[in-house]
Amino acid sequence: MKAMNRRKLITVSAVLAAVSLAVTAVPAQAAEVGVSGSEIKLGMTLPMTGTASLGYNKIPGAAKAYFDYLNANGGVNGRKITLVVKDDRYVPTEAVAKTNELILKDKVMALLAPLGTANVKAVAASVNPARRGVPVLFVNTGFSGFADAKKYPTTYAVLPSYIMEAKIMGQYIKENFAGKKVGLLYQDDDFGSDALAGFKTAGVNFAVTVPYASGSQGAAAAAGWITKFKAAEADVVILFGVSSATSAMLGTAAQLKYAPQWMLGSVGGDATTIKLTGVPAGVLYNAIGFSPVPATTDMKDEYVKLFSDIYAKAVPGSAFDLNVLLGMNSAFMAAQALKAAGPNPTRKSLLAAIDSKGSTFANSALVPLGYSKTSHVGLTGYWVGKYSPTGDLAPLGGTYVTYTTDSGAGAVVKSTYVRPAMPAKGLPN
Amino acid sequence: MCLAQRRPAVHKRQSRHIIPFILGGVVLYFVSGMVDELRVYQGASVAVYVIAISSIILLTGYSGQVSLGHGALMAVGAYAAAVARIELHAPIIVCFIIAVLTAAIGGALLGAAAARLSGPYLAGATLALAIGLPSLANQFKILGGEQGLLFDVGFPPLSLGQDFTQYKWFFWIAALAALISMWVIHNILSSRYGRTWRAIRGNEVAAQLSGINIARSKILAFTISAGIAGLAGALLSMTIGTVSPSAFPLTLSFSLLTGAVLSGITTLGGVMIGAVVLVAIPEFADAVASRMGSSEKVTTNLPGFLVSALLIVTVLFVPNGPVEQHRARKAKKAALKK
Amino acid sequence: MQLLNTFLIGITAGSIYSLMATSMVLVWRSTRVVNFAQAGMALLSSYFGYEAVSKFHSFWIALPVAMIGGAVFSAFVEMVLIRLLVKHSSTGPIAAVAPIIATLGLLGVIRATVSMVWGGQNVRIIGPVSNDGYTINGTTLVFSPLKLLILVTVVILMLALTVLFKKTNIGLALRASAYAPEIARLAGIKVDWVRTLGWALAGATGAVAGMFQTVNGNGTLSPDSIDFSLLLVSGFIAAVIGGLDSLVGAVIGGLVLGLMISFVLMYISGGLFFIAPFVILLLVLFIRPQGVFGAKAARRA
Repeated sequence: MKAMNRRKLITVSAVLAAVSLAVTAVPAQAAEVGVSGSEIKLGMTLPMTGTASLGYNKIPGAAKAYFDYLNANGGVNGRKITLVVKDDRYVPTEAVAKTNELILKDKVMALLAPLGTANVKAVAASVNPARRGVPVLFVNTGFSGFADAKKYPTTYAVLPSYIMEAKIMGQYIKENFAGKKVGLLYQDDDFGSDALAGFKTAGVNFAVTVPYASGSQGAAAAAGWITKFKAAEADVVILFGVSSATSAMLGTAAQLKYAPQWMLGSVGGDATTIKLTGVPAGVLYNAIGFSPVPATTDMKDEYVKLFSDIYAKAVPGSAFDLNVLLGMNSAFMAAQALKAAGPNPTRKSLLAAIDSKGSTFANSALVPLGYSKTSHVGLTGYWVGKYSPTGDLAPLGGTYVTYTTDSGAGAVVKSTYVRPAMPAKGLPN
Repeated sequence: MCLAQRRPAVHKRQSRHIIPFILGGVVLYFVSGMVDELRVYQGASVAVYVIAISSIILLTGYSGQVSLGHGALMAVGAYAAAVARIELHAPIIVCFIIAVLTAAIGGALLGAAAARLSGPYLAGATLALAIGLPSLANQFKILGGEQGLLFDVGFPPLSLGQDFTQYKWFFWIAALAALISMWVIHNILSSRYGRTWRAIRGNEVAAQLSGINIARSKILAFTISAGIAGLAGALLSMTIGTVSPSAFPLTLSFSLLTGAVLSGITTLGGVMIGAVVLVAIPEFADAVASRMGSSEKVTTNLPGFLVSALLIVTVLFVPNGPVEQHRARKAKKAALKK
Repeated sequence: MQLLNTFLIGITAGSIYSLMATSMVLVWRSTRVVNFAQAGMALLSSYFGYEAVSKFHSFWIALPVAMIGGAVFSAFVEMVLIRLLVKHSSTGPIAAVAPIIATLGLLGVIRATVSMVWGGQNVRIIGPVSNDGYTINGTTLVFSPLKLLILVTVVILMLALTVLFKKTNIGLALRASAYAPEIARLAGIKVDWVRTLGWALAGATGAVAGMFQTVNGNGTLSPDSIDFSLLLVSGFIAAVIGGLDSLVGAVIGGLVLGLMISFVLMYISGGLFFIAPFVILLLVLFIRPQGVFGAKAARRA
């Protein structure tokens, strides 16, 4: 038996070695990882399945729709952009595993719009794209830390940070709900603590804060949340969770006839996603919401018109919502970054391009981008809106009034930014 | 159980079988230099699984106790190592030792509680442990909450050269740990402790009659198994870089059980098979799905489907594992020849 | 008011856990197997119900469809999987683990298949009556016509099963086949078919649990939803708490579990969502390792 074991061990080791050697043929060294004469490969990790995936799983389809449109119109400097997408189910350790695959196996040039504060953090700590020089573009999270160019030298934010959002919310509450009791629903992790920090800076005092464990959001939990908010007699309730948490809350609130003044954070505030889970439009009516990009029902906006056309052709039957708009927006920005990186793009030239030209990238947002050599801050503000009787977010008073601020102690100011015209056909120029 | 155990033909004092393990180490050293980084990273994962699966083999295959919660024990080891690193700035080896000891203590407690339970009740308790224990970390600030703690083993020493990647370093550490653990476990299992456990598993009443203290043996099994699992947990956290509840989901405990069954739950010899299969299946499924050019739905779900299907097939048709199956077939052939 | 609501939340959730626990006890009593795939089968049955709703637009047609679908599928699993299992691995160390692993594998296969077939669609089942809370004196309770319906149905089902087991010949056959199969065979009972029947009953009960869990939530059916994970874990824990042999235990176990979790979440902390069941289970097993209503002899599997 013992001789057998020894033989087994050696045999298996040898087999493993042989198989490894056979399977890993060393390819000819390309000009840059992920870049060939005809193609640029980008990689994305996000929850496609799982409790948190609601709404967000439309993003890959949206980004691909834009890239297909771009590729049909010549691509970027003659190269097609290919997007490789992996499902991480919102679990940080899976995000690490999938990102490893993207970088080491699929050999992508850069990561595009990875989703989730905890996930991006885990990847940064473990896979360490900074050390490998892999650009991490336009992360799909508002965690303020990712804009820190010293800590995350190859990472670029795009969404306004949660601190910015909390400050703008706080300002609105001060101006409109002074003296009222405010409650907060937040996720029990980095995403939530960033928000709490923002509210603290904004000087908002909560009558009650209700954390939920990520993964536990459902109708049963929501009944418990509502009981707590009722007990604290909150007049205004801020929902700062993911879409599935917001939907659970609003759906259960409708059944329990609980109707405070709702305020929806942008992460979980997409009306289309919420309504798809059966939440009646009437529940959303008069809730307050925030967005940095135009309302998705605003067909007078040239970006919304073009993007929704492209999406309708690529994914017929699927509703054009905030996730789709943001997904296509980031794809558009990535395309501009790649074009600005030059006719022979490298990872370094891509990073340099965003540092120097990023703040001028055309995109649908109504607030400016903050990229520079020392700052990886993306969008810097929001407009405030109310949900209509059909449950769609529209700007207060019909016109977009935007507010900008920073992730520090800076004041919240009304923005005078005027968005430049969209480049022809929505292609990078 | 009337299968005669194969007695080793020779009883001479062998050098505790260290040769095959040293040999294995040499082979791995050369292999790690020749393959690309992804393979090396996967190699580290395989090493972690090897250690974890062997802890299950010891507990279930030898002492007959079922645990659905070894993921939780891995978590205990991982958190212990991370806290030791952060709070005490202990060197890595010390962190791993702390991981083993802490998890072993946890295992002793669990074993003491479990001694009164058996079968599905034990399964239930360990299942609850698997789900509940990791999320306990959210309640204590020192354990980092949902976002977890950073577990940084540091960069490889400069003496190994500039090109020595982080993942290769992980592989070396994990592989070395695996080789040492395998050697230790192999010796424990061939000792009288291993024989005692097998006796208990075979017929508890008879074992008790022959003077074995059942409860103490069972608790010992749990303790040692937990310590090993704790080491695996610390190594797993090393490869991921962080310790958080989400690194130890229920599916991890199930995967370990799967790997143990695939390897052959009663013997250590096939443990590589289970570990390699666990790491290889997601990739294999990925390749199959992309070759079939199927929809996103299929691609995301195919790995899970394949693993689960493989599990059913294995437990139905090769329940004792390929190694044992092969040996039984050879024994049958030999018997028929006579 | 908070107290009342907490109680109501707990009772409703608990009654669904009771159903789940009952189906697990049914399986255990007929074949001495813990079926970890029970919640997966409930999930699949709910999808059968969804298809029926899409065609016939009636919950009351969908429910029996789900029950029949669940029963047939469970019977199929018993005939194929469990009999093979018993044949190949009833001895040796693997015997303890084999059914657990096989049913876990089955759970994974069901989940993956369901995702592949129905994934990506927005699958919803609307309950037959409203889930809006009753309003008394201006305050709205966390209790609705739907929740009342669930409670009533659970009670009826439990009574029906108890009558079946205690008063009918089939019930006798079921009990005999579980505890003394050889004697049952001698008495002319077709033990194999009786075992299959046990699984079929469990499948039907599980289907009801699945359908109710779906409509009691926000109606969305999805393999990833928290609802089914809850069903899996809580059903099992409730069965163990109650004692795997006892149908009464399953009901009480489910209700107690639902109530305790509700109170813990409300009065201690919502972050304990995943720990509470675990602690409750450990407490019960520590005090009474065979479950509250379990017979001591039955503790040994």
